[in-house]
Amino acid sequence: MIVDNVSKSFGSLVAVSDVSFSIEPGVTALLGPNGAGKSTLLRVMCGLTPPSSGSVTVAGGNPRTDAAARARIGLVPQQDGVFERDRLHDFVHLAAVLSGVTDPDAAVAGALDAVELDPALERPLGAFSKGMRQRAKVAAALVHDPAVILLDEPLNGLDPKQRRQMITLFHRLGEEGRTVVVSSHVLEEVERFGTRVLVIAKGRLAAQGDFRAIRALMNDQPLTYRIGCSDPRAAAATLLTEGVIVSCEIKGADSVEITTTDAAAFRRRLPAICSAASIRLEELSPLDADLESVFRYLVGP
Amino acid sequence: MPGRESEISPGGPAALIGHGRRAATGPGRAVQTPGAFLALYRLVLRHQITRGRLALFAAVAALSVVLGWLVGRSDGDPVQDATDLVSAFGLGLVVPVIALVLGSAALGNWVDDETLVYVWLRPVRRWLIAAAATLAAATVAVPVTVASLSAMAALGSGGDSGVIVGTVVSTALGGLAYAAVFVAIGLLVRRALLWGLVYVFIWEFFVARAGAGAARLSINSYAASILADFSGVEIRLADRAIGTSYLVLAGVTALAVAFTTWRLSRANVA
Repeated sequence: MIVDNVSKSFGSLVAVSDVSFSIEPGVTALLGPNGAGKSTLLRVMCGLTPPSSGSVTVAGGNPRTDAAARARIGLVPQQDGVFERDRLHDFVHLAAVLSGVTDPDAAVAGALDAVELDPALERPLGAFSKGMRQRAKVAAALVHDPAVILLDEPLNGLDPKQRRQMITLFHRLGEEGRTVVVSSHVLEEVERFGTRVLVIAKGRLAAQGDFRAIRALMNDQPLTYRIGCSDPRAAAATLLTEGVIVSCEIKGADSVEITTTDAAAFRRRLPAICSAASIRLEELSPLDADLESVFRYLVGP
Repeated sequence: MPGRESEISPGGPAALIGHGRRAATGPGRAVQTPGAFLALYRLVLRHQITRGRLALFAAVAALSVVLGWLVGRSDGDPVQDATDLVSAFGLGLVVPVIALVLGSAALGNWVDDETLVYVWLRPVRRWLIAAAATLAAATVAVPVTVASLSAMAALGSGGDSGVIVGTVVSTALGGLAYAAVFVAIGLLVRRALLWGLVYVFIWEFFVARAGAGAARLSINSYAASILADFSGVEIRLADRAIGTSYLVLAGVTALAVAFTTWRLSRANVA
């Protein structure tokens, strides 16, 4: 897949600005804060909307105009909407038939098996949990054996176990020689997708390459996390004493926001520090605002 | 890097998760099999019937029967009165409104709830989507309106075969043309139901009935001409040649499907 000097504007709003990259088989993460242009870029990459300038090439063709190129793409869109009244089997079977699959029933069985959904589920998709819907969408994207799979925030709404299963599936698809592009706005999530990453911020390609290098660059910047725990005051005091955070702000009886300049060491040491102080750790989440500041840093002034 | 040839092998990935996934689509070929058409047709059809619409259909049927019965009991010429009733209430109101409700939702709902992507991204011919949506909308709209209005025609005319057959033919062809037009409008604009109602009530119901020039641009005028021809009753501004009426209604249907196809190929899909 080749994205060459692609820009996309909506009136005066520039959603994607002069982005170029090529993606090889394997898993590639598309990382960026909400509103950075990831979804627009994915839509352009699979032909759902034409670029204002530049070009996209998938399997030698333009997916906007070339049916053969579109036939090589599987997309899991971000939006929650599915054909609510359809059963799971119908939804995936439709995708197979419209893709010209020669044996739709076998393809449906294989795709549902890959996402670990029971093909005998009779209730309509509208009655599915968000996680199950997400997996149904992935099955529909896989059913025609695409060479390129684009997934827009696919882990949204999944529980930790489902996330693990899904990430394992992405890796399996990548190892099979497919080009898998997974978008996310969560830094910790992207770390588990693989080593290759494209960082999008303000519609521009801020960085690309090995995740560890980009992560190291990000780790040099102050990052803020929210810690949910049984005793936030004690946790904050201990973390300050241990020197793993530089500032803190108590946010209530069970929450504290901290800032660290060494995110990797902070995340590594936090569980042990809490355990030693008999503090029950319930939540650790990065704050998007600070992630955006990292992206701003990467993009430059 | 940009400019390099894609490294995706033409034959696709080396290993597969399941079986039977080889797409029949070759280079430059899009899917246009009867199976794909049938799958699209069934999909649209499944989403056409809702409780609200069933209630609307039942209300229309009941009102049609009551009006037909009342006209049948009046002192006037039953054939003339029944034909006028079918033309004004049936072809002027019931057929376009039912076709609007179903046609505008056929693809319009997929745009609104952002599910069009599941169909659009597939390598399927665009005309197949347009034709399946139109046929599915007509599959519901035509039987519902034909049944209601032919019952009205039968009760009102005292069973006159000319009025009944004219009602069936004009309603079916008019319903198909309206369905095709409203499928296109559903894809073209947001709040298609509202815009469609404006079109039906302002243009078809008032403006097109005001003069011969405007009537030439009205679907209702050609459908009413077919009714007039079968019933042998004169209907104001519905004096087109029968052959012309058939051709125009078929042409409107074909043009609307062609427009929907064109619009689909240029759609910005969410």
